[in-house]
Amino acid sequence: MTQEVPVVPAGAVDVVLVDDHHLFRTGVRASLDARVNVVGEAASVDEAVHVVHALAPPVVLLDVHLPGGDGGGGAEVIRACADLTSTRFLALSVSDAAEDVVAVIRAGARGYVTKAIDGPALSDAVRRVADGDAVFSPRLAGFVLDAFGAAAGDVATGDDELDRLSAREREVMRLIARGYTYREVAGELFISIKTVETHVSAVLRKLQLSSRHELTRWAAARRLL
Amino acid sequence: MDGPAGARTCDDSGVDVTAEPSLPPGAVPARTPRGALRRPERGRWCAGVASGVSAHLGLPLPAVRVGFVVLTLLGGVGVMLYGFWWLTVPAGDPWRAAADTRPSALSRVARRPAESGERASRRWPVTDIAVGLLLVAIAVLLAALRQDRLDAGWVLPMLVVLAGAALAWSQLDEVARGRLRSRAGGRTPLPVVRLLGGVVLAGVGVLLLVGQATGPGVDAATFAQSVVASLAVLAGVAVVVAPWWLRLWRALADERAARARESERADIAAHLHDSVLQTLALIRARADDPAEVARMARAQERELREWLYDDRPAPGTSLAAALRAVVAEVEDSRSGPGGEPVAVDAVVVGDRVPDEATAALLQATREALVNAVVHGRPPVSLYLEVGTDEVEVFVKDRGDGFDVDAIGADRFGVRESIMGRVRRRGGTATVTSRDGQGTEVHLSMPFAATPPVAAEPGEPVTEEER
Repeated sequence: MTQEVPVVPAGAVDVVLVDDHHLFRTGVRASLDARVNVVGEAASVDEAVHVVHALAPPVVLLDVHLPGGDGGGGAEVIRACADLTSTRFLALSVSDAAEDVVAVIRAGARGYVTKAIDGPALSDAVRRVADGDAVFSPRLAGFVLDAFGAAAGDVATGDDELDRLSAREREVMRLIARGYTYREVAGELFISIKTVETHVSAVLRKLQLSSRHELTRWAAARRLL
Repeated sequence: MDGPAGARTCDDSGVDVTAEPSLPPGAVPARTPRGALRRPERGRWCAGVASGVSAHLGLPLPAVRVGFVVLTLLGGVGVMLYGFWWLTVPAGDPWRAAADTRPSALSRVARRPAESGERASRRWPVTDIAVGLLLVAIAVLLAALRQDRLDAGWVLPMLVVLAGAALAWSQLDEVARGRLRSRAGGRTPLPVVRLLGGVVLAGVGVLLLVGQATGPGVDAATFAQSVVASLAVLAGVAVVVAPWWLRLWRALADERAARARESERADIAAHLHDSVLQTLALIRARADDPAEVARMARAQERELREWLYDDRPAPGTSLAAALRAVVAEVEDSRSGPGGEPVAVDAVVVGDRVPDEATAALLQATREALVNAVVHGRPPVSLYLEVGTDEVEVFVKDRGDGFDVDAIGADRFGVRESIMGRVRRRGGTATVTSRDGQGTEVHLSMPFAATPPVAAEPGEPVTEEER
């Protein structure tokens, strides 16, 4: 793996940055702190697939909207890189449209943050994804609650139930939507951060695997709300 | 396209090219654009040819009319010209047609919606009917005068042929109208029916005429033979003409699609011009004031986002939209302790029709937001959830927090405008403040007798006061 920056602290996470706007890539590169090391960039679907396969980075920062390929954008990149089991994707988007978010998450992204995120928070998110955890922005948590139904009565009873959230997962999602960090969620619910991460990962799994047919339809209809 | 704006629309008539005033090639169209060659609905005496020509050439209308009369006196040229243009020039508004041919990227603002007067003006074509009746009357008169020499056998076929021709020709007018309609999506097969009917009528008429000419002595076999032969010739012509016609048709469809794309682009361009470009210019002018620049950028981002991703719900039907408006107002008007603008991260789950109770809740939310922005520290988070039996709002900031119990009489804002407002409506309000974790205001408003979002808005609200 090529290391372009001479002084890289041990344990820095290698990242490939995929966005079609050069200006934005430059901005992100500058805002990321020393814990993250940008090893490659790509500006289109084809380029991204090529670069990610060549470098096999632990984390790819991926824009939802990308030119090229079959027009599938970020979701297409994730699908095309499904053979790289060690690479995780963090979706980065300026779009608020639930359609875009749900599409990229269901394709396999480990998290979703908006482009308004600041440098340290983004670096945090990258590290978190590199550690195998899921990253939920408040907005994504709101989408999840909206999609799975925020009603308290509609809760999952078993772990294998993919179409509903458990009461605890719902509680975690609500706190994240309210702007709590994982640490604050842990403090509020008197559980460990690791447990919070487990819950969030479980929600991500449900979001990705749920056969709840309303999910896609909901995402499409959300624009018309 | 280097000619004047009207050139493209009227080359089908082939007449105006000579009549065009000599503009140097490549000249910029005149400051006052000329109308395209159309027969306007308004101000017409007969078929609108004279007013159309006057609008197209920029000549005074009376002069054009006098010209037609004078030309008519010169061996009937005026009438022939008038008839020719009546047939070949489509009806429509010359000015709008001229505007349509203009590249829409050049028109600055989005097009005005079609004037409603146009539909209203589509009244009964009184003059058309009057002219038709006049012609029929003249024909009857002529027939009556020449009664002795009139061969009744010729009249019926001629009438049939004429009816067929009229039916086929009448769609010229209809196509121009239908273009507007088909642009809106619908496509009626009426013109096709009309054309087929016209062709069949004309064919029958011609056959009758031929039968008349050859006399009653001709036998059926010969007649059928000649019919088959003429049909074969027609089919041959159709085969030869079909590719050309298809190409023409495709070119027309392509042009229509391109025009639709262009008008969409123009809409986007107009919006960007009126909003984003203005803001960018403002930002450049105020570049030395970072707080103001950030505020303008944020407001513009919000506006553009709304335009791109949202269909604006009708006012008074969406609590989420009302909340977004509150957030926008606070973001635009309030600054943090250091005068810096503060962005509010708002997340909304669910929606319902606003009522008096939620209006009070929104007011309290606004006060809480203002409090968080002005006294707290970013990031400020706002979460609204419409549950099955209550609406909950959380406003969180990262300020140093304050002791809730120590809220004195001077902090009237929190106690009265936030908590009092909600509690009077039967809701609950709590303020949690912890060291290092900022402050969170939790408001909750039950709704018992109020309808969810799908129900009819405007229903009287029965909310007991507590």
